[in-house]
Amino acid sequence: MISRELAMCRAVLENNRLLPLFARFNIQLGFGEKSVEEVCRINEVDPDFFMEIANAYLEEDDIPREDLAHFPLKSMVKYLRATHAYYLEVALPQVELLIAQLLNQPELSKKELNLLSGFFDDYKKEFMQHIFQEENEVLPYILELEKQSLPDRPDPEFLSSLKVYSISKFEQEHDRLEYSLENLSRLIIKYLPPLKNQELCLRVLAELSDLVKDLVDHANMEDKVLIPRVSELEQEVLSGEKD
Amino acid sequence: MNRTGIIVAAESYLLRKGVVSILNRMPGVTVVREFEALPALEKFIQTRKRDLLVITYTLFDKSFKSLFNEGDLQDRTIILTHKQEWEGGSGFPTIDSEDGKGLIMNKIQALLDAQTQGPGEDPLFTLSPREKTIVRLVSLGYTNKQIAGELFLSAHTVITHRKNIGHKLGIKSVSGLTVYAIVNNIITIEELSSNPV
Repeated sequence: MISRELAMCRAVLENNRLLPLFARFNIQLGFGEKSVEEVCRINEVDPDFFMEIANAYLEEDDIPREDLAHFPLKSMVKYLRATHAYYLEVALPQVELLIAQLLNQPELSKKELNLLSGFFDDYKKEFMQHIFQEENEVLPYILELEKQSLPDRPDPEFLSSLKVYSISKFEQEHDRLEYSLENLSRLIIKYLPPLKNQELCLRVLAELSDLVKDLVDHANMEDKVLIPRVSELEQEVLSGEKD
Repeated sequence: MNRTGIIVAAESYLLRKGVVSILNRMPGVTVVREFEALPALEKFIQTRKRDLLVITYTLFDKSFKSLFNEGDLQDRTIILTHKQEWEGGSGFPTIDSEDGKGLIMNKIQALLDAQTQGPGEDPLFTLSPREKTIVRLVSLGYTNKQIAGELFLSAHTVITHRKNIGHKLGIKSVSGLTVYAIVNNIITIEELSSNPV
């Protein structure tokens, strides 16, 4: 468990699953002896929110948290945007680069090349579509919900729309992006011919497995922190209507 | 590879994690989800018709005995008791918090063996024979219309099948389904058309 008082350097040294978080929170390394809370404050990150995310990453289950801290959803949205940017600008291009090198290997037949390149092109499209949908529908919805929870009386129009769209709809329609990547790893390990450039294959597999792990952690975090916190706020806004 | 899913429901964190850590040592077993309270479990369990359930006697007593009486949970539930303090009985197999690791593993294994006599796969994620045929034809480059002609189905039925396949596998694109078909031995790379998908 990560607590406020824990030295940030210890938290990271003992849990390297936390590493991807620092870029997303835009937190600079070089922690010295500073505690989790101090590092968060210096980097203008809500410490409660940081701890919810960090602990969600460390526990591999996907049980919704009880007693979630009342962090602002605005910080959640900022974090999700940074995560999306990381996938689109760093993780996916890295895999793409390696796949492009794989497509240059002389052992692969035309059918195998078509299969690989077609697969990755389509996967990339699906991935981007998934993220754009979140950016254009889900995140604006969350920001609006938070805005509506502040005034005494929420906008009636918003309230009636809440009866049609809620975060549970997102939860139902939310595809898991990692399944296809796992199939790609299986394809390389089992069904493609052996390649002379073994080093390249192993790098592709390591990169795929890192991305799969990250996507699983991220999806679990959404189940454990994002969705429960948003549904909680939905209930607050709806019950505010009755008063 | 047929892995059996197990759902673990216990209020106590220590107890739950203890059971999960034993289950994780057993080959062919996956803990699909943990629960610490009832309402979420009751909803979840109805969508998971093949998973085993390990549940504490306190949660069991509190809850949904009606659900258990309906029959389908009867053969796949194991009750977790504490220091044998439970008289609920009713024929369910039990494990106790004081049982040793080996005994617990044996009891769960016995229940698993009784279960896997059926077609031990999860229908939620496993394709039906008809769906497999459709995945095969999609991988070979058939359009929905051609599939309908080949299998004597209406185009509408084919579209419904494709939607269900997409939901089950979380894969929608033709190329994604093709790779799925290869790694699940529904088709070989050699059978694919040489034209790009």
